[in-house]
Amino acid sequence: MQRTGAIFREQWFFLLLVEAALAIVTGLMNPRFFGLNNIENILEQVSVLGLVAAGATLLMISGNFDISVGANIGISACVMAILMKAGYGYVPSVIVGILLATFNAFFVGASSILFKAPSFIISLACIGIFRGIALAFTKGVLQLIYGKFEFLGTKRFFNIIPLLFVISIAGYLIIHFILKYMKLGRRAFAIGSNVQASYLAGIPINLNKLVFFIINGLLVGTAATLLLSRIGAAQPSTGSGIELQAIGAVVIGGTPMTGGRGKIIGTFFGVLLTGIISNALNMLQVNPYFQDVAIGALIIVSLAVSAFSQRGQRA
Amino acid sequence: MLASIRNATKIYGQHKALNNVSFELAEGEVHCLVGENGAGKSTLTKILSGAITPESGSIVINGAEYKGLTPRQAIELGVSTVYQEAELIESLTVADNIFLGDERRARFPLVVDARLQNAEARDLIRSLHLNLREDVVVESLSAAQKQMLQIVKAFYRDAKIIIMDEPTSSLGLEETNSLMGLIRDLKGKGIGIIYISHYLEEIFEIGDTITILKDGESMGTVPIGQIDMDTVIHKMVGRDASLFYTKEEMTPGPVQVELRHLGRHGVVEDVSFEVREGEIFGIGGLVGSGRSELLSLIFGADRRDSGEILIGGRPVRVRSPHDAVAAGICLITEDRKKLAMFAPRSVTENIAIVHNERYEPPVLNLARERRRVRGMVERLSIAVTDQDTQTISELSGGNQQKAVIGRWLLSDARLYIFDEPTKGVDVGARSEIFRLMVELAKAGKSIIMVSSDMPELISMSDRIGVMREGRLTHVLDRHGITEEKLIKYFIGV
Repeated sequence: MQRTGAIFREQWFFLLLVEAALAIVTGLMNPRFFGLNNIENILEQVSVLGLVAAGATLLMISGNFDISVGANIGISACVMAILMKAGYGYVPSVIVGILLATFNAFFVGASSILFKAPSFIISLACIGIFRGIALAFTKGVLQLIYGKFEFLGTKRFFNIIPLLFVISIAGYLIIHFILKYMKLGRRAFAIGSNVQASYLAGIPINLNKLVFFIINGLLVGTAATLLLSRIGAAQPSTGSGIELQAIGAVVIGGTPMTGGRGKIIGTFFGVLLTGIISNALNMLQVNPYFQDVAIGALIIVSLAVSAFSQRGQRA
Repeated sequence: MLASIRNATKIYGQHKALNNVSFELAEGEVHCLVGENGAGKSTLTKILSGAITPESGSIVINGAEYKGLTPRQAIELGVSTVYQEAELIESLTVADNIFLGDERRARFPLVVDARLQNAEARDLIRSLHLNLREDVVVESLSAAQKQMLQIVKAFYRDAKIIIMDEPTSSLGLEETNSLMGLIRDLKGKGIGIIYISHYLEEIFEIGDTITILKDGESMGTVPIGQIDMDTVIHKMVGRDASLFYTKEEMTPGPVQVELRHLGRHGVVEDVSFEVREGEIFGIGGLVGSGRSELLSLIFGADRRDSGEILIGGRPVRVRSPHDAVAAGICLITEDRKKLAMFAPRSVTENIAIVHNERYEPPVLNLARERRRVRGMVERLSIAVTDQDTQTISELSGGNQQKAVIGRWLLSDARLYIFDEPTKGVDVGARSEIFRLMVELAKAGKSIIMVSSDMPELISMSDRIGVMREGRLTHVLDRHGITEEKLIKYFIGV
């Protein structure tokens, strides 16, 4: 094992190569790909997914899943939109929305602990609960707030860098800081790699699990805010499907489903890759239905890559 | 002759698990295997059941010689093993389990004729004089009944040789008696039985022949009538002095840890003892005597029903390992892969974890952590190339164990509990671990050590507590204790 070779064993490095190759090919076929507008567009597109995937990374490292985040975004965005429509300012509306998202995530974590059930199943059940409640109080009507809350979604620093992307990067950095420099991060890795050993090392398992879910809830609430500002409207189905995209991006980034391992930089490039692929397929005018096929295939390929690289390490 | 093994040798790494051992089994014979943990009893039976292939030696079953016997061949030849942990499908009935994989078909394809199976199972059970209903679900059976069912199943499958490995370790007296009855029945039907047990009374009650194993070598095969219990025990133990570690004499300080009336229903009953500063208190006993369970109670990993723990004269609240760590108690577990290692994490993270939990602020100082771990790696001479990038699973077994111990040394506890500290560790690392324990004792720590390894127990402990059936039956001084005496206390003769 030599340090010089370390970078070549990192999953994110391969993703970076793939992304560069993809960008070059697409750019050659359609020069508009490298236009400032398009790049800004890609960055905006991946911002919301990035926040959700950052939270999913922390959860998956600790051996947990929350697949209710899409529905959670839906209900929180609806509540924020309704409050804004009713004339409340954005600050209180957004605070209420983020608190609701955090409470929902807390609810998933707490139920999973209380009923000793895997968080995957609990959060599966919560999809229906969150979406159903949102449908009940919106009566299924689209909550339009057009023109009332768009500065988040439209603001660009130096007219180039979207504020959305900056917030998303902040989310990655927070998770990175937790994972790399905080006791909390060590606990996530420890619990994810061996729950029993963590318990016997004196780590309070349940308390930490709740904290992971709460952090995830804060990120999801922020993602809901960004999405609302970007679209200018919310309905119960807003955000649906993002949970699977996020888990997919995390896996593409090299964090295994079994927990105990993973890096946020991998997730960053995983998210970026999904963004670039859908954008490139748009640019190349491929039937949009094939985007899902491409992302799905990508997940399988990245799993295959990590399976082979692990086999190589053991030998 | 049903089966014989001639001059079998089985080597694991550098360790000879069996050295030139021969063994024979006749029809209707109950042949007992005795020996300490690790003497080679299970290895010998595994050769016969095809689970392992010996490096040299031959196996003859029903007059035919086999070089590489496969498990499937062994089963076809009628060799059947009854395990302690019953290999049964809990959600199926007794009859279903007997016929599993060989179901009685009804007239329609893919349908099982349950009525026919039940009737046949009932006859089979009756022919063995057992008190067992064929139509109940296996999960509702007692441990003893499950064991009987395994034997019935083996019998139904035309077993000629039945291997029983510690069949009575989880059975009560009455259940043991009915098992003895069943064995006599099987004997009468010409089945050969290999019977492994720590309980010598049972062996003298049921056995025809006894083979004594010690450190992988046969100490002789004798008809039961021609040997007495003391001779058997003498042959089981008694070893070279080289296996004993000479620990320097130390005078323990004042009492540091007091355990009063610890108990957990059905597992550990009313255990009290105290450990001084600088004292190593060894705990011995047979598998299933409640040794490890006692440690779990002290460490708070299992909830105790009664009793209290005092450290430095003050009662401490230990309701979880978290409390235990805070109170200055640490447990170095027996199964390091399952209970201690964070396999995909670096050596640094694995060693630093307890210290971080106990003393560090929420944001870690990585440079300080690295220095601290490096100091521990050097102190324990853990062979590692890069502590920050190498995962603990890449280390050798002995280094893994040292890293796990290092984790607790950094936590600066007052009571160190070692559960089988040298299990699966090579000779070199073994004496390093011993040296470390002495070092801890010198620093005034109290040590509780559970060990199945008799030389280890005798040479490391200042006093030895004997556990039997969940109770602490004796506390012995290390001076003048021999393996022979100790095993008598373990067995309770």
